[in-house]
Amino acid sequence: MTAWLVIAAVGLGTYAFRATMFVVLGDRRLPSWTDRPLAYVGPAALGALLGGMMLSIDGPRSTARAVELAAVAAAFVMVRRTGDVVRGVVAGFAVLWTLTWLVL
Amino acid sequence: MTTTTISGIREPRDGVSLVLQGARDMTPMVIGIIPFGLAVGATIASSSVEVGVGLASAPIILAGAAQLTTVEMLDAGANPIVIIASALLINLRILLYSTSLAPWFAGAPLRQRLLLAIPVIDQTHLVAMPRFERGDLDLGGRIAYYSGGGGWLIAAWLGSQSFALLVGAGLPPAARLDMAAPLVLVGLIAKSVATRPAVVTAAVAAIVAGVGAGLPFNAATLVAIVVAIAAGVMTERRSAPEAELVERTS
Repeated sequence: MTAWLVIAAVGLGTYAFRATMFVVLGDRRLPSWTDRPLAYVGPAALGALLGGMMLSIDGPRSTARAVELAAVAAAFVMVRRTGDVVRGVVAGFAVLWTLTWLVL
Repeated sequence: MTTTTISGIREPRDGVSLVLQGARDMTPMVIGIIPFGLAVGATIASSSVEVGVGLASAPIILAGAAQLTTVEMLDAGANPIVIIASALLINLRILLYSTSLAPWFAGAPLRQRLLLAIPVIDQTHLVAMPRFERGDLDLGGRIAYYSGGGGWLIAAWLGSQSFALLVGAGLPPAARLDMAAPLVLVGLIAKSVATRPAVVTAAVAAIVAGVGAGLPFNAATLVAIVVAIAAGVMTERRSAPEAELVERTS
């Protein structure tokens, strides 16, 4: 029961974030003092998610962690070069699988 | 960003072709989220959360990272209020996306705008904004393009997740689908984080979230986002203000 309520609350709140501006804002703009913090919500959220995942994935074996970080670095470099997220994911998995096969 | 249309190359502007064009432009993102969806589905399948709740959480939340956090925290038995606060803080960025998308749909009827709000997420924002800013689409064209991309993304997301949830533990662990989420995330960061303050923000957020992983109530994500936004704003203040102003308004 608690699980349903939690998911419903997260779903409702998330939909409110999506819909509020579509309903109330129209062509108007938010007060300008909100520009700066709002501009960094995206990078902050993406970075925090990535940081949390890279520490929570797998456990104590440092070689496994190094392989994962190499895969993430390969994906980053590939997307910076090509601007294509798919190629980044492919490069990341290629590095991950190859290194796993070689060193683990 | 303004792009002048190259004469001779005319893209079709009718509704159906724009729906298809939106779907085609979204396809790279779709290929990126399918392994992510499979991984989230597999995580739910192997958690203590009921399958019914897990299945319903995908369409109810429609945001992978927040859904994954919610399910993992439920599985860990965290405080419900803390779970809701963490997930909503993760999704607060959606408010930013809808703020920048809203003017492009301002003329549509309210009921339609309520529907258009459903697919607002990192990928739809990332794909739709550059297309809209080219300025060659009218309201109907923008709605068609955005609906095509958003519909395709949601279909792939729900499909991949339901598949993994129903197949459950059948997915081979050696494939390391759990790494799909960080790889897609780092791809989105590499693609969208360009200015120096934004780079500082993302880096600070990642470090704080990593270092704070042991914080009570799983509060690391929440703390990391707040600290990183402050770091980004401070970095921007310290760099040349005029240059930043141009960057933000262009």
